[in-house]
Amino acid sequence: MASSSKTSGPAASASTSSAPSSSALSFKQRPWVRWGAPLLLLVGLAVLPLVMTESTNDTLARIGVFAVAVLGLNVVMGYTGQVSLGQIFFLGLGAYVTAYGVSQEWNIVLVFALTCLIPAVAGLVVALAAARLGGLAIAMVTVALPIVGVPLAKRLSDYTGGSQGLSARFVEAPEGSGLYDDQWQLYIVLVVGGIVFLLTSLLVRGKYGRAFAIVKGNENVASSMGISPYRYKVLAFTIASLIGGVSGFLYMVVVQYTSPETMSFGHSIELLVAMVIGGAGSIVGSILGGAFYVVVPDITNAIDPSLTALLQGALLLAVLFVLPGGLVSLPRAVMRGLRRSTAGRGSAAPPTTPSPTAGSGSATENPETERQGHV
Amino acid sequence: MAAQLALQDVSLQFGGIKVLREVSFTVEPGSIFGLVGPNGAGKTSLFNCISGHYTPTSGTVRIDGNEVQGARPATLARHGLARTFQHPALQLHATVLENVLLGAHTRLPGGALEWSVRTPRTRRAEKELRAEALELLERNELGWAAHLPADELSHGLHKGVELCRALLMKPQLLLLDEPAAGLPHAEVEHLIATVRRLRAEDDITVVIVEHHMGLIAALTDHVVVLDNGAKLMEGTAAEAQSDPRVIEAYIGKDGADDAA
Repeated sequence: MASSSKTSGPAASASTSSAPSSSALSFKQRPWVRWGAPLLLLVGLAVLPLVMTESTNDTLARIGVFAVAVLGLNVVMGYTGQVSLGQIFFLGLGAYVTAYGVSQEWNIVLVFALTCLIPAVAGLVVALAAARLGGLAIAMVTVALPIVGVPLAKRLSDYTGGSQGLSARFVEAPEGSGLYDDQWQLYIVLVVGGIVFLLTSLLVRGKYGRAFAIVKGNENVASSMGISPYRYKVLAFTIASLIGGVSGFLYMVVVQYTSPETMSFGHSIELLVAMVIGGAGSIVGSILGGAFYVVVPDITNAIDPSLTALLQGALLLAVLFVLPGGLVSLPRAVMRGLRRSTAGRGSAAPPTTPSPTAGSGSATENPETERQGHV
Repeated sequence: MAAQLALQDVSLQFGGIKVLREVSFTVEPGSIFGLVGPNGAGKTSLFNCISGHYTPTSGTVRIDGNEVQGARPATLARHGLARTFQHPALQLHATVLENVLLGAHTRLPGGALEWSVRTPRTRRAEKELRAEALELLERNELGWAAHLPADELSHGLHKGVELCRALLMKPQLLLLDEPAAGLPHAEVEHLIATVRRLRAEDDITVVIVEHHMGLIAALTDHVVVLDNGAKLMEGTAAEAQSDPRVIEAYIGKDGADDAA
């Protein structure tokens, strides 16, 4: 088994590169891939809004909004392991702050700053209390957020417009740019969302990524490394709330209307499902989660709106059983399946391939080929 | 800077069960100290009292003269205390290097905002400590495993990785909880060599909880034997091994008579 997968490794890498000498560098490490791929992605994203139809642009923009919301949820849940069922509350809060600020004709930069700050402070206050409780208690406290949020939004009608909600049209393509509103909105989502994704992906690597991971993995070890589990839970929850607030701002950019329904408990659960289906603890998984959140209801609404929950539930079960790592782990799972099938065929042939490598040698080389599959 | 550790009348009680009864001893800076005793003697509980995971019911724990009982483990860790666990808890899907780098946490400067924009200061610190972690792994003959996921390593190697993780904290006081448990003989020899080199190269105080008398005899300057939560005797490892009370505690009264 070990030897056969070992032989398939170099063969696979040789086929991807014409020059065998460069196969020492993995595909992802080659300079043209390292610099070219992000550049290509950037150019693609810049051109995208110009060539798509209006409805596609709108769908993409909404995917961006909810991808940001799912990313926030991932920080506290996927990376730090604290169950949060209240992420939608922070999206709703951000949306209301934006709508109110716009209706008062405040400067848009100030509105954006408040949209970050107010949900972050709200999240901090909740976390300071909830993280002390630990375990399921955090989940229970977060359940309360949307449940309290909806009637609160109805009551505070002076600020929220009550059940009617608030609408705010504040994003119009600048004169002379030649852009349509939908294109301009998508650009805003791409730029603001892109910055949030970039900063978060840097944060969840390095010092803070390791600290979040060990708080999720083993709190005793975390504390013996000088990492206070309490402080890092509070930090993760605050960041998640801040990102939730930003997604609320983007929500207003795209949807331009918010009501108490925006932060209903059902939507919070859907966000959670989207995170699990996209891939918990994954940046790319957050984008896939956002796509799931938006696209599935779009499709089912066209057929029969009552199908939405059914299809979401069925997809969730399917992903949990087949791809516990979420959609983001699909390529890896496929690669593993392919390798297993080629390895199976290899071992069916007479075992002439085993090379007399030392035990330690094969133990170190085998994972090398394994990792080539991962990247 | 090696730390001094002093316990005075440390008692620990869970409900009606007395786990530790007025244990006192002093560990001199730079020494290697053994904490031995039969199963259930309270060694690991005592360890947890020192590392802050438990708070003693009464008595004082002093590190360099400062009372630290009741302080949180994370606080103690930031003040130079490192420990390993009986069952090494590594992040199995992360690489060995990432696991070791966790030990660098308190040595890396900068807050969450700085790390999300990766200021030059954080990049430099991460690079330096990454190099230091690799060197540490290299020194402990684990350099070859640095980029492997931790779950591909054996239990014995996990213990080595965990030790590297603790050492990257640059501790003044290192607590090793049963470092030889579950290790084959050759790896125990390797462990002995590692801890000896530690003492020679780093300025560090080491406290070891261990069953393995060979390891205790080979390494420690001084031991305390615990039995049933109380201190049975204190002295060198050789004295402990020949003390009839210790033999009795380990193999029972009849065995002690047979041996005598």
